[in-house]
Amino acid sequence: MNIDKVMSIDAAMAHVAPGTRVMMGEFVGAGEPAKCIEWLLEHGIDRLTLIANTSGLRGDFLMGKLFAAGLIEEYIGTHGATSNEASDAYLSGKLKVRQFFPMGPWAAEVGAGGHGLGGALVPVGVGILDQEGLFPDLEEPKRTIEIKGKTYLVEEALTADVSIIRGYRADPLGNVEFRYMATQNQKDLAMAGKFTIAEVNEIVPVGAIPPERVGCPGPFVNAVVQGYSLADQHTLYRDHWIKLGRLPKLPEGETP
Amino acid sequence: MSHLHGQDPRVVIARRCARELRAGEVVNLGIGIPTMTANYLPPGVQVIFHSENGCFGFGPRPGTLEADSDVSNASTEPVTLMPGAAIMDLTTSLGAMRNGYIATSVLGGLEVDQEGNLANWASKRNGKWWPGIGGAMDLCYGVPRIIAALQHTDKHGHSKVKKRTHLPLTGKGCVKVIVTDHAVFDVTADGLVLREAYPGLTVENIRAVTEADFEVSPNFGPMDI
Repeated sequence: MNIDKVMSIDAAMAHVAPGTRVMMGEFVGAGEPAKCIEWLLEHGIDRLTLIANTSGLRGDFLMGKLFAAGLIEEYIGTHGATSNEASDAYLSGKLKVRQFFPMGPWAAEVGAGGHGLGGALVPVGVGILDQEGLFPDLEEPKRTIEIKGKTYLVEEALTADVSIIRGYRADPLGNVEFRYMATQNQKDLAMAGKFTIAEVNEIVPVGAIPPERVGCPGPFVNAVVQGYSLADQHTLYRDHWIKLGRLPKLPEGETP
Repeated sequence: MSHLHGQDPRVVIARRCARELRAGEVVNLGIGIPTMTANYLPPGVQVIFHSENGCFGFGPRPGTLEADSDVSNASTEPVTLMPGAAIMDLTTSLGAMRNGYIATSVLGGLEVDQEGNLANWASKRNGKWWPGIGGAMDLCYGVPRIIAALQHTDKHGHSKVKKRTHLPLTGKGCVKVIVTDHAVFDVTADGLVLREAYPGLTVENIRAVTEADFEVSPNFGPMDI
């Protein structure tokens, strides 16, 4: 039988239940798996631990809405206020954040999780993030190690039950191609999840993506789901950018 | 009445920061005032802008119908790609920041001090440190020339250029130049050196609004904007 990882969003997202530890591809709202996020909102799957670079883009947009809906119990990432929704949840005590990571260390921890390593040795934040009392919710203080006279923080690998990434095109084998700044660390996130869902703009036949353009090889992906078409995704972002004043409004009658 | 006579202090800072950028170098601009710096590059100065979400060589904002949902900067504002732009994944981009491939970064600040320490990621809100770190600590760790771009005083008139920072640090001893709406300082091994003051302001005017100690450069003069 031929390998075919293409499935419905319902079938793929059935792997996410209340309390699941989820990783999601994104960078301040860019590269987010929009349809899977909408599915989570619609089904109200809560008590999630969300591992994501930032807490989304402000103004009632995609991943940020998960915080407003109270679906996220704990956030593990680099920034708690790129979305006002996450910021409100955090400051009102509804969202648990044990610590903030700098972005490089966070990405290295996800990479370590995906690559079968125990963690990362991080020179960033030494003498700052390991200060006593800075993150009182940490179960133990950050460890340090000396290598060739230099001090590094020992940061553990990050893994997840389910990783949800967003690509441009994918084939039934699960090979995913990315576009521009939505490349991010989607491939590492895919590798760090026990079950990985790739939401893409377009599902194409095997062989349509040139091998050198495969950004995330199929064996790292368990499910391929149809997301917004690229044209519809452009409209979704342009509309939000207009709303935030980041793009000029179009004349009456024209649509983005 | 402000010494700026109604000019936006953020624009003054961004204009002055732009003159610190050197032709040919790779530059990362932080969010806020630093991002505005790109609008004021002197004619003929070509730099390569790096964005931590994974790009060398991004350009200005596109028109609404040209905006691409997968082409944006680190604040997720739509941008364009210049000829010769290069995309990389996130770990590569952060690695470039730590390992010296970015020559200069302009970063905003809550506090900066006379030892070049920068605090810009956290203040206490509801008993919690807020808002978060993002890519700023990787930049402070690995970029040889950090320019701190911030208003000289807070809304209560207190100096943000301190003897000693009190908030959690973003980087230790990383700041090489401080640009405010009042002055430009170099951070040296011996402390701050006042290089320029906003036109019309005297050294005494700067001392009156600055908590940090500083020497005055022999080349001290009016701010070059």
